[in-house]
Amino acid sequence: MANIDISEREFKHYPPKKKKIKGSSIITFIFLAMIALAVLVPLYVIIVTSFKTLDQITLGRIFDLPTTWTFEGWNKAWSEVCSGMTCNGVKAGFFTSIKILIPSIAISVGLASITGYALALWKIKWAGSFLFVLFICAFVPFQVIMIPLVLITAKLGIYGTFWAVAIVHGVLSMPFLTLIFRNFYKDIPPELINAALMDSGSFWRIFGEIVLPMSGNIIIVVLILVITGVWNDFLIGLTFGGFGAQPMTVILANTVITGTGAVRYNVDMAAALLTALPPLIVYFALGKFFVQGISAGAIKG
Amino acid sequence: MAIRYSWMSPRLALIPAMVITAVAFVGAIGWTIYISFTKSRRFPNYDIYWENFWRQYKRLFNDPNWETSINNLIFMTIGSALAILFGFILAVLVNKEKTGEGVFRTIYLYPLAVSFIVAGIVWRWMFNPVLGIENFLIELGFENASFNWLAHKDTAMWGVIIAIVWHGMGFYLALMLAGLKSINDEIWNAAKLDGISPWKFYTEIVIPMLKFTFLTCAILLSLGVVKTYDIVLAMTGGGPGTSSWTPAYFVVNAYATRGNMGYASSAAFMMLLITFAIFLPLVLLTRWQTKRKEKEAV
Repeated sequence: MANIDISEREFKHYPPKKKKIKGSSIITFIFLAMIALAVLVPLYVIIVTSFKTLDQITLGRIFDLPTTWTFEGWNKAWSEVCSGMTCNGVKAGFFTSIKILIPSIAISVGLASITGYALALWKIKWAGSFLFVLFICAFVPFQVIMIPLVLITAKLGIYGTFWAVAIVHGVLSMPFLTLIFRNFYKDIPPELINAALMDSGSFWRIFGEIVLPMSGNIIIVVLILVITGVWNDFLIGLTFGGFGAQPMTVILANTVITGTGAVRYNVDMAAALLTALPPLIVYFALGKFFVQGISAGAIKG
Repeated sequence: MAIRYSWMSPRLALIPAMVITAVAFVGAIGWTIYISFTKSRRFPNYDIYWENFWRQYKRLFNDPNWETSINNLIFMTIGSALAILFGFILAVLVNKEKTGEGVFRTIYLYPLAVSFIVAGIVWRWMFNPVLGIENFLIELGFENASFNWLAHKDTAMWGVIIAIVWHGMGFYLALMLAGLKSINDEIWNAAKLDGISPWKFYTEIVIPMLKFTFLTCAILLSLGVVKTYDIVLAMTGGGPGTSSWTPAYFVVNAYATRGNMGYASSAAFMMLLITFAIFLPLVLLTRWQTKRKEKEAV
C-alpha cells in the first residue's frame, strides 16, 4: 500500500493538465448527482403525496410540495383503510408482519448457521455434493414448489396461520443463507478449530464458544437479508397467510390495488410508505452491511 | 483426526437441512411435475390422466396467454439488461470520482430495500395520466407528452421495465463496484502511465477482466426476471387485458384465480426448465473457475 501511495503522490506533483482533469471530475460529479436525484424521485413523490390534501392532489402537479402539510393520509392509512371486509388500516398487517418476522429470523438464522458450520468445518465426505444441491435449490423459483408446500402446510394444519408463512420463509431461505454462512465459516483458520478439537472436541461447544462469537458480522448481514426479504415478501404471505395472517404487503395490495371506492392517493401513498419504512430504516441505518450482504449473496459459487 | 471425537453431532445437525432439501425442494419439484400429469383441478387428484398424458402441456403451448408471458419474459430480460449497463457505467464513474462514493452508493441502492409491491404502487401513481408525470410534462409545455404507458398494450411492459431498472440498478452497481475494486491497482497505474485513452482502457482491459462479474449479473438478472410477479401485479395487474403477464404471473393466476392445479403445475415446471436453462452456464462456469483457481494454487 505504501508504494502505491507514493506513486499516486508523484502523479499529483507532476500533472501535465491538472485543470482539465479537475473539470472532467466536476462534470462526472454533477452527472452522478443528477442520476442520484432521478433515483430519489419516486421516494420524493411518495413522501410529498402522502402529506398532501386530496384537494391539492386532484390539481395534478405531482412534484409540488404540499401547500398544507397534513397527517390525514397517514392516520387513515394506519388505522382506517379497508382490506376486503375489514377496515383496520395497515396496522393489522404491520403486527402480522412482525409476528411472521420473529419466528422466520429464528428458523432461518438458526438452521442456516448450524448447517453452514457443519458443512464448512467438519470433515463430511458428501459435504461438497450437498452444497451443490443447496446451490441449485437456492435458485428454484418459488412458484415451482408452491403447490406442494400449500398441500403440506394444509396437511399439518398450519395453513392460514402466521406459522405457515414463517416456516415457509425459513425453509425457502435455508439453502441461500447456508451458503453464505458456510462461505464465511470456511475461512476460519483450521489451526483454531484443530486446537478446539483437542481441547473439547464437542461439535456444539465449538459452535457456541468459538464459532458463534466470531459470527457477529455475518449474522448482521444475514439478519438484514432476512428482515428485508420477509418484510418485502408478498407472494408467500398471500399464498400461505389465508385470511387470518396477511402481512403488511398483502394488506397494502388489497387496499390500494384491488380496493374499491374512491381512490385517495394520499392515503395510498401513506400506506405504501408505512409498509416500506421498516426495511428502509434498516437499510439506511446499516447500509454498509447491506452492501456486504448483497456481495456475499451474489459472489459465492 | 477429528472424526473420533464427534462423529455423530455434525451429521445429526445436518438432518433438518437435509429433510428440508429432500421434502420441500427435491420432493416438491417432483410432486409438482407429477401433479401436472394428473386430473387435479382445484383440489389434488392423484389419478394420472393416461388417456391424454400431455393434456396440460398441449393446452399450455396453445394458450395465447402463455405465449404472451414467454414473449414478455424475453422482452423484460433484454429491457432490464439496461440495469446492468447503467450499473456498470455508474460504478466506473463512482469508482473514478471517489468523492461521495458512499453517499452515491447509498442513494443508488436504496430502491432494493423497497418491496416490489410498494415500488409498483409508486410507479403506477407516477404513470397516472391525469395527475402524474404526463400531466406535469403537459403543464411544462410539452402538449403532446404521452407518459400513460401502462394503459397501452404496446408500452405497458416498458413501464414495468423502467420500474425494474430503477429497482435493480443499484444492485448491479454494487456488484460492479466490487469487481472494479478487485482489479489490481498496478493495472490502473500502468494504464495511466501508458496514456491509453479511457475508452480503450475500459473496453479492452477492464470489461474483459470483469467478464465473470458481467455473466453473474446477467444470470442473476434473468433469474430475477423469471420470478417477476409482484411488480406486474402492482403496476398493471397483468393488463391491459393480459398483455403484461409473465410466467410467474401465469402460474399464480392458473392456481389461485382459475383454480387449476394441474395447469398451474405444468406452467411451473416450464418455469423450472427456463431457470435451469439460464442457470446451467453459471454452474459450468463456476466449476471451471474453481478448477482454474485450484490449478493456479498448485
